[in-house]
Amino acid sequence: MTHLNILIAPDFPPERFAAWHILNTWLQRKSGIALHLLTPASAHEQAELIAGGKADVVYANPFDAAAMVRDAGFQAVARPVGKADEMVIATGAASPANVVEDLQPGCKIAITDNRDVKLIGLRLLEPADLTEADVQWTMTDSFQAAARLAIKGEADAVFLLADAYHSLSKLSRAQLKLLIESRLSDITHVLLARPGLGEQAEQIVAALVALQDTPDGQQVAADLGMPGGFERMSHEDAEFMIDLMDTLLD
Amino acid sequence: MTLADMPKPPEAATEHRLHFHDGSSRTVYVIDREVPFPEGRLIISRVDLGGVITHANDAFVEMSGYARDELIGQPHCILRHPGMPRAAFKDLWDTISSGKKWHGYVKNLRKDGAHYWVYATAVPNVRGGSIVGYTSVRRKPSRKKIAELSAVYADWLAQEKAA
Repeated sequence: MTHLNILIAPDFPPERFAAWHILNTWLQRKSGIALHLLTPASAHEQAELIAGGKADVVYANPFDAAAMVRDAGFQAVARPVGKADEMVIATGAASPANVVEDLQPGCKIAITDNRDVKLIGLRLLEPADLTEADVQWTMTDSFQAAARLAIKGEADAVFLLADAYHSLSKLSRAQLKLLIESRLSDITHVLLARPGLGEQAEQIVAALVALQDTPDGQQVAADLGMPGGFERMSHEDAEFMIDLMDTLLD
Repeated sequence: MTLADMPKPPEAATEHRLHFHDGSSRTVYVIDREVPFPEGRLIISRVDLGGVITHANDAFVEMSGYARDELIGQPHCILRHPGMPRAAFKDLWDTISSGKKWHGYVKNLRKDGAHYWVYATAVPNVRGGSIVGYTSVRRKPSRKKIAELSAVYADWLAQEKAA
């Protein structure tokens, strides 16, 4: 029996791993299509799978989605409801900085391998007259490791996905000082279908948006951290978001 | 499209007559108050090919001081501040109508006569190979850049008045 591969971008919190598998089972049952879940461990592994034609459906982060729609002909078909991609810039609690404008050229900022977070963070640094070249970037393997550098004062600030920041323990958050949390609202992850998927994409989307129709489905969405479920996304919705992201690239 | 004159604010305000590229004009009133850019947010709008507002996000509406239905269908120059030289907007329109991205610092006029500074980026909405409208996204600007640009714009305005 042939199956379709669904690839999930690697930026979800580890505790959601089981929930994605449960969603995959749900979609399989409701759509009648055999689905295989791909969960690459890194942006690099994701890019290799997509370039190798291994992904039929992709739950992509916003900036990857933009490139896949405009450059590779993927079709945006759904997005989470009320679940925008936001980020925070935080310092250690003892830092003298209280606002973004207090960060100085040469400052050290801890980050993870998340291009969206870095791009949005760079835009939020503009009021401080800081460009990418003015910052000493420290790449870490996990958002917890990035946060620890700021807590210990080994980095002047940390860029985090807002979800990741809010998932830190109460103790960790108490050792951090939030300088800014974005409220961009219009930028979300996007479910994409590869060119030519046709009716099968529609069956998967129909199953996905139906999550909200039953208590069981609502629980699956809640376990993913998306209690609003998913909604259909039109081509123009995607184009609107891509235009918006284009303005944030520089 | 003609914009109605602004009503005179109750507080002390200076009166200006703005003249737009299409030959229309509008009286506006300016008060000496800056409204800070909302932290962490983006101000987003879309216009059609004629510069008429077709979409405004919540931050756009809140910062403008207008109600949403006072903005949709109006020309974008409803936000034009008399402290902005016409040359800046000519550069904006020349750039985006040729299919390119434009960045610039802009002082916008609110309904109440106060103002807010933004760092604006405008891009053409290209659909099927044609430009069908424009999206503009404003971010929080640096105060240093505002100071620099205020001086530049004052020079340009003086030149425009002398011409």
